[in-house]
Amino acid sequence: MNSIMKLLSDAIFYNLIREQRYMQFLDGLGISLQLTFYSAILGTVIGLFLALAKLGRIKWLERLATLYVDIIRGTPVVVQLVLIYYAILGSSSFPKIVVASIAFGINSGAYVCELIRAGIMAVDKGQMEAARSLGFSYSHSMIYIIIPQAIKNILPALGNEFIVLLKETAIAGYIALDDLTRAGNIVRGRTFDAYTPFILVAIIYLYITTILSWMMNKLERRLRESD
Amino acid sequence: MIEVVNLHKYFGQLQVLTGVNTKIEKQEVVCVIGASGSGKSTFLRCLNLLEEPTAGEIYIDGIAVMEHRKDINQLRQKVGMVFQQFNLFPHMTVMENITLAPIKLKKMARSEAEKRAIELLDKVGLPDKNNEYPNRLSGGQKQRVAIARALAMDPEIMLFDEPTSALDPEMVGEVLNVMKQLAHEGMTMVVVTHEMGFAREVGDRIMFMDEGIIFEEGPPQQLFKNPQKQRTKEFLGKVL
Repeated sequence: MNSIMKLLSDAIFYNLIREQRYMQFLDGLGISLQLTFYSAILGTVIGLFLALAKLGRIKWLERLATLYVDIIRGTPVVVQLVLIYYAILGSSSFPKIVVASIAFGINSGAYVCELIRAGIMAVDKGQMEAARSLGFSYSHSMIYIIIPQAIKNILPALGNEFIVLLKETAIAGYIALDDLTRAGNIVRGRTFDAYTPFILVAIIYLYITTILSWMMNKLERRLRESD
Repeated sequence: MIEVVNLHKYFGQLQVLTGVNTKIEKQEVVCVIGASGSGKSTFLRCLNLLEEPTAGEIYIDGIAVMEHRKDINQLRQKVGMVFQQFNLFPHMTVMENITLAPIKLKKMARSEAEKRAIELLDKVGLPDKNNEYPNRLSGGQKQRVAIARALAMDPEIMLFDEPTSALDPEMVGEVLNVMKQLAHEGMTMVVVTHEMGFAREVGDRIMFMDEGIIFEEGPPQQLFKNPQKQRTKEFLGKVL
């Protein structure tokens, strides 16, 4: 029993306390959260435009959006991240977090596009007809009638997408951005302990995603109440 | 008021309307009857271009609708429509449902629009429902709100697409009564309906549609009592 306690306290001391390694994790968490936040915003904006392009009646825009979604969803996000880093933005002096946010935003946009599209299509088509029959233009019908109803379908799925996004940013280390996962890796390199740093990393991710899920459930309940 | 010339509508290979010609006069109440699949709803929906006609011409107040697609939103303000499934906006109260279009499209002041909405709700027999959400209303109440919503734009013509077909039997009467009142006030109405009693009592003219054309038409006494064509007789034999 004593030896187990000793093992545990040693593990925590070497991986967290010594050389203030907890700061490594905290800084990493900060980067991961920032990265998730910026790419969620960018992804939502891109996704919204893609969805509108796909639903609109301009053929070439629709094709372009479809192509975008197909390419992004058909290739691994790691590959996209590295390509964007080296080929497009690596040569300039952008901070890495900006590069990563753009890469994850571009990636997330494709998924958000489909969420928004599905949410809009789930609104009964009689709603659009009723709005048009009153004399509203297509875009005004969207703004006043369709989108307010679609938001109820979209928000829960969007919250889910953000949780997925947080976990996906764990590959930011590929472009040497010191996010939470990379912090675990760095500490592991110093302590030669493979388990403890990553168990800590896993616990932190789990903690954050649990909070996000809880917030989402609350939001969902609020949305359902107004029905 | 409305003139339809040689109207065709195809859905892919399916020919739904194959040459509809008619004129609807101001203050006239036209009831369109016919079996399902005869094209009567499609005909109605073509009148305000909710369906895009494949060929033919539609004139509303002398304006060639097909050539003025850019002004279609203006034109639709003159043509109210009531749907089988009501299509009220579920995220808005009854009051908001009725006032949205006048405020946004006619730039009417909110207070004025609300005053008008209360008058209209009174007219359709729902004076105390303005703050309810649609899902709290019965089918008949929803449809009467839908009629009030359409009337709020002061349309010159009202189109009714099977307005009582989705209602429980005991609620059909309350909706038909509102429509009857509207007809008596001189509204120009085109009503696609299965309510033969209503058509006979309120209609100035009955249109029997079949095979994508107006198969036979005439005043209700003539069409119901003395149909000329075999198809019309068969249809009326089934529904009367």
